[in-house]
Amino acid sequence: MKDFLKNNGILILIIAVLLSLITAVVSLTFGGFVNPFANVANVLATPFRNGIHAFVEWSEGVYSDAFEREQLIQELEQLRQENAELRRQAREGEANSRENERLRDLLGLKNLRPDFQFQEATVTARGSSNWSATLTLNVGSAQDVAQGNCVVDRYGNLVGIISSAGLNWSTVTTVVDVDLEMGALNARTDSAAIAEGDFALMGQGRLKLSFLPQGEQLLSGDTILTSGLQSGGTAEYPSGLVIGYVEAVRSDESGMSDYAILTPATKLEELEQVFVIKSFEMVEK
Amino acid sequence: MTTRDHIIKWLAYTLALLPVWFLDAFLLSRFPLWGVRPMLLPVCAMALATLEGATAGAGFSLGVGVLFDALAPDLIPGSMTLLFALLGLGCGLLAQYVLRQDLIGHLICSALALCAIDAVRIALRLTAGVAGVGAMAQVAGKEILWSLCFVPGVYLLFRWVFRRVPKPTVL
Repeated sequence: MKDFLKNNGILILIIAVLLSLITAVVSLTFGGFVNPFANVANVLATPFRNGIHAFVEWSEGVYSDAFEREQLIQELEQLRQENAELRRQAREGEANSRENERLRDLLGLKNLRPDFQFQEATVTARGSSNWSATLTLNVGSAQDVAQGNCVVDRYGNLVGIISSAGLNWSTVTTVVDVDLEMGALNARTDSAAIAEGDFALMGQGRLKLSFLPQGEQLLSGDTILTSGLQSGGTAEYPSGLVIGYVEAVRSDESGMSDYAILTPATKLEELEQVFVIKSFEMVEK
Repeated sequence: MTTRDHIIKWLAYTLALLPVWFLDAFLLSRFPLWGVRPMLLPVCAMALATLEGATAGAGFSLGVGVLFDALAPDLIPGSMTLLFALLGLGCGLLAQYVLRQDLIGHLICSALALCAIDAVRIALRLTAGVAGVGAMAQVAGKEILWSLCFVPGVYLLFRWVFRRVPKPTVL
């Protein structure tokens, strides 16, 4: 201990306390503004993150080529047979297929909500902490991405909310993270509730639908949408984005109220490309 | 030791930290085991504290803590910077005066540091009321065990650097 005091040990501890205080004060004072250390660290890490992302993609390709060739040949043969069968079905139901195509176009998110302004982004890293569920994107304030923007997948399913935006990177708090809490609507009954992350469910990639209205009868598979409201009741997010589907209904520990377990509509583990909704017209449902 | 020796020494330790950090942040984060990812930065900080002692341990851990806070901030931003510095100091003293400055010492120091970090995280979340103890303890347990699997590798890397960096001359 004497050595520690003699060798600038006290100075190190004072620096630790000061850095800790500066980080805390800057982060807490400026809300979503990223503290300078985080911004610098993430800006410096961006090229490495992008490089490693590209390397992992490439090595997965090489691995598939090297070790899964036999399996791929079998799958190809099977797919050829399926393809032939599908072609036959397609010929029979050509009229139905054309109608399907039109309906799909009609339901396309861009057609459905022309007010949405999108920013395409790539998922370059997944959160390394077990205490949160986040994704890192390769877009940031330079592309006008800001804290609070919603992030969706290509089908318009909600992925999460931008929790911090640096210069060329941003962090998305996903729908299963415990920090995320937003107004939700049951598409079938139009009843309101709160969709929120739950620590016990986060590891399983699920979230919770709580504050269900009295007498609400949820069915497995019910679609849950964003209501456009924050949990406090203020309008904040685009409405009508699919959060997930009801998997099961449980009672809380007190047994006084029920909550539902939701499976996110988006496949969080498989996401590679997402879209940030930079602006939208406020439509409260 | 000259200023140049100090620069070489800390540069070497920083370079040793980089591959472990890359592994932790960019590769292992993509492939969780039992639903958890390991936490390797504290293991690196404790490796240096075990080998170099309290002062160097506290200083290096302070830097690692800043990186940890910057990339994965907890409920109170900045809390990990202070905690890492204190852990570097504590484990450095422990390895110097109580344990041995070897792999077993590093294993014990890493286990203590990981437990302390997760204890603080659990305490912060309990205070904020965001989760129950049971669920958090389960995640913490798996995270600590998975992280400890990397102790031998990290120790060997840092010992390799430790044996090659300049050291103060004892007269």
